Amino acid sequence: MTTAAPPLIRQRAETSAARASQVWKVYGTGEAQVVALRGVDVELERGRFTAIMGPSGSGKSTLMHCLAGLDSVSRGQVFVGDTEVTGLNDAGLTRLRREKIGFIFQQFNLLPTLTAQENILLPLAIAGRKPDQQWFQTVIDTVGLGDRLGHRPNQLSGGQQQRVACARALVSRPEVVFADEPTGNLDSRSGAEVLGFLRRSVTEYGQTIVMVTHDAVAASYADRVIFLADGQIVAELTGPTPERVLDTLKSLDRTAQPGTEL
Amino acid sequence: MIKASLRGLLQRKLRLSLAVFAIVLSVAFLAGSLVLSDTLNARFTALFSTINQNVSVVVQAKDPQAVEPARLTDAQLRALSEVDGVRAVSPDVSAQGVIPFRATDGEPVSADAALGFGVDGNDDPLGLVELREGRWPTAEGEVAITAHTAELAKVKRGEQLKVYLPVLNEPRTFTVVGVAGYSGGRDSLAGEVVVMFQQSFAQQTFYGATGLYGGASFAAEEGVSDDALKQRIAAQLPDGFKALTGQESSEEQSAQVGVLFDVFKYILIGFAVVAGVVGIFLIFNTFNIIVAQRTRELALLRALGAGWGQVAGSVLLEALVVSLVGATVGLAAGIGVAAAGEAAITSEVALPSAGLVVAPLTVILAYLLGVVVTLVAAFVPAVRASSVPPVAAMRDVVRPDKSLTALSIVGAVFALPGVGLVLFGAFADLGGTAFLVLLGGAVLVFIGALLLSPLLARPIVRGLGALVGRGSAGNLGVRNAARNPRRTAVTAAAIIIGVTVIGMTATVVQSFKTSLTDIMGDNIGVEVMIQASVTAAPDGRQGFNPKALEQVRAIPGVKEAAAWHFDALGVSVAGQPQAFGIFATDVGQAARMFPIDATDGTIRTLAAQELVLDDNIAETLKLKAGDRTPVVIGGVTRDYTVVGVYRATPLIQGILVGEPAVADFPGPLAFQGFVSLNDGVDAAPVVTQIETIMKDYPGVQVGDRQSYVDQATASYDFLLIAVQILLLVALVIALLGILNTLVLSIVERTRELGLVRAVGLSRGGLVWMVTVESVLITVFGVFLGLALGVGLGAAFTKALMTLEFATVIAIPWLELAQYLLAAVVAGVLAAVIPARMAARLNVLDAISYE
Repeated sequence: MTTAAPPLIRQRAETSAARASQVWKVYGTGEAQVVALRGVDVELERGRFTAIMGPSGSGKSTLMHCLAGLDSVSRGQVFVGDTEVTGLNDAGLTRLRREKIGFIFQQFNLLPTLTAQENILLPLAIAGRKPDQQWFQTVIDTVGLGDRLGHRPNQLSGGQQQRVACARALVSRPEVVFADEPTGNLDSRSGAEVLGFLRRSVTEYGQTIVMVTHDAVAASYADRVIFLADGQIVAELTGPTPERVLDTLKSLDRTAQPGTEL
Repeated sequence: MIKASLRGLLQRKLRLSLAVFAIVLSVAFLAGSLVLSDTLNARFTALFSTINQNVSVVVQAKDPQAVEPARLTDAQLRALSEVDGVRAVSPDVSAQGVIPFRATDGEPVSADAALGFGVDGNDDPLGLVELREGRWPTAEGEVAITAHTAELAKVKRGEQLKVYLPVLNEPRTFTVVGVAGYSGGRDSLAGEVVVMFQQSFAQQTFYGATGLYGGASFAAEEGVSDDALKQRIAAQLPDGFKALTGQESSEEQSAQVGVLFDVFKYILIGFAVVAGVVGIFLIFNTFNIIVAQRTRELALLRALGAGWGQVAGSVLLEALVVSLVGATVGLAAGIGVAAAGEAAITSEVALPSAGLVVAPLTVILAYLLGVVVTLVAAFVPAVRASSVPPVAAMRDVVRPDKSLTALSIVGAVFALPGVGLVLFGAFADLGGTAFLVLLGGAVLVFIGALLLSPLLARPIVRGLGALVGRGSAGNLGVRNAARNPRRTAVTAAAIIIGVTVIGMTATVVQSFKTSLTDIMGDNIGVEVMIQASVTAAPDGRQGFNPKALEQVRAIPGVKEAAAWHFDALGVSVAGQPQAFGIFATDVGQAARMFPIDATDGTIRTLAAQELVLDDNIAETLKLKAGDRTPVVIGGVTRDYTVVGVYRATPLIQGILVGEPAVADFPGPLAFQGFVSLNDGVDAAPVVTQIETIMKDYPGVQVGDRQSYVDQATASYDFLLIAVQILLLVALVIALLGILNTLVLSIVERTRELGLVRAVGLSRGGLVWMVTVESVLITVFGVFLGLALGVGLGAAFTKALMTLEFATVIAIPWLELAQYLLAAVVAGVLAAVIPARMAARLNVLDAISYE
């Protein structure tokens, strides 16, 4: 697939960790048809922390699922690194997840039968790869779980569980980590710990992170915020603060009022 | 409330259909067994009604099995035929075991249902038997045969026919002068073989004198009822006879024959019991799962004001409906099983058709079994459902896994005394009571083990998992199997039950076979065995004439040939009935062929009224060398002297008398023969020559040492096969149970499955994960079952060794490996559907699954 790609795309692919090109996502047919994404073009730069925001039904989660290969697109192309995701079969997607993608979900991130350490190393174990001990130690130190590695998820607090999930996403050094409302279920202090950790992994280790959130404070940890409304990218901020994010959301709400389908 | 539970029922029909299947299986075996036995009885009743169609009254000996049954004389028969109201008389001169030899190859045509009759040269006055061609026999060397017999023996009118005569104990050759059939153009009534002789010859041959009859059938004149004629004839009956109406006679005969088919009945009932017991676990698990899944719904009902009794009742109502559906389908399936069984049996034995008989009792028992099994199984889940608090409707009420401690203590309370009893039974020298002690202990151990199995599940599954759970997918499967030990244990219970029974049986059978082979191989100087048909009456009336051994002794290379007579009917020694009978042989010769060690007195050739016996029996009867004791053989009591006592071995045990005692035996035929050869003589050609000599004695088998071992163990192999089929039934149900549990696990763990897929597990990995879980559950069951089964089997064998029935405990490794393999295959099969379900899950849907 990559060998067949035109030089222009290849060149651009090298600079972006993930990229969507004219992506449409349509659910259902006829009367019941719902358009979740309308020709979205977006590039997520390597080594940056990008937040995707938007009101409910704006398509922000759909966009992330499509970028991560969890959902198929109706039209358009998606790349992770230099791999075209669109068109991959299940085996290809499995390989992509093993090699290039890390996930952090809002909840239920960990297998209850495994200890924290086993959960962190699960992607490597599944892929049959040996962990890089030094990197593993770095990740553990960063998330501050050193004394909790032998615990099972039900012996950990919600914040600790999410930190384990973060460590798991990072330990295989994926091309990009997708985080779906990672602090949605946490109190503000635990949420801040997790976000601080994600921020540091970008700043200190150059990890690429894409995070969907509806929380302006969470978005302010990112380098760049993309705003979606009605399936389209409608605004963008770099170097966000909570206030600027909130202002942008408010202005979106106003413009979205009349004639919005969703 | 009722409506709500019935509606819920339909939504869960897939899961419930597994429970229904368990009931269907159990009920089908029970109903099949009952319908088959009723149907065969009806067929036999129809058969004997045909035979007795023109018969008003039958006169027969009260005890036809007696050594000297009562006979009617000419004068007595004449007196009975002059009774007022008698229209016609058909006297009975008959014997069983009159076996023709095939003209083409000289082989006997049948070992059973072969009858001989004496006929007086006139047509059958009752019109049942009709001459088709030729004439009735009128001279000693003539016979008439039925068309069916002619076909089997491949002989035609005018040709020679060799026939074995039971009382003469040898074959004679006759000329076939007539071929007969039955009224209605039938060649046979039920596939029987019939040879008809001149009457006086038959009387002389069968009864030892002319002018004697075994009984007679009478037809009444018009206007005289069967009962009335029976009364009149009964008033004039000689001693030792009874009179029955034709109807009564038919019923009595069909009941006697029906007993022969009881073995099928009991095997099927055994299947029904196993399927029922194993099914209880499957149904229990199913309802537990349903209750767990319905927690919110049940809580809502409780919140809306339903009492706990109503909630429990709704679960039991659901169970009742399930059981009624299962029992109905099972009844239908059982009738199908019976039809197949009947077809199989009647393809061997031609019987008049009477249609399938479905008795009301069969229907009642079928429903009773289905309902009882289901309600027993659903009781605990129903109670559990009733304890769901209303608040569970609002939020997830975490109901932590109950600790296994209480359950395990109860298990230990059963298991420890059980183990004690088993060890006591195995090692203490308790004689026959050892088996009762062992059985009690085995039941306790078994119950204890089932209760302890949740405690054992985790360590055993992990231990086994270390062998198979390589790779992360396998490792996850191992963890899932060990995750809920109660569920794993209940799921495996069906397998534990089935495998324990088979493991125990296989161990005992293997030990017995190995013991016998060891003894046969090491100690005896016998190379060729001659053996009467295993089904022969063990009283000297079937077997071979010991005179034939003179021909055997003449074969070059034969060193010695010994005849053993056996009588197990009505033998008693020192006032004690001897169920294992008595043997008569040249004991001195036996001591040269077999290892017989005297522990008291001497072991030598015995004269009349002398006996030797083994040490176990001597102890029971409190006899020692030199004692005199009364012995009853063939109804004759004589005082015998105990010449010696020998040590019992698995090969030789029991009471032995000398050849002179054979005169008292009901029949003069030998039951077994043993032949020793000179050094270096090949047994195979000798076997062939002895077979030729023994060809005249239908049912007698000749074989070398190994064939004797095979024959001695054949009935145990049959037992083993029956138990293996039982295992198969248990495995099928267990497979459904595992399927059930895995589907539940997959539904419960949907988000986990999504998660592992999201972090890179392939579809194949997921399939492997589910398969490992399934295989571990089955292998856990087999492992525990085999450990229990082999342990108990070894204990039973130890007790058998004390009684000299066995010499070693042999573990049937090959069979055990096969059962393990079967379990692995079953585990893989059970995982197919759940694994496909898991693999088809969409990753995104699975992660966001509530």
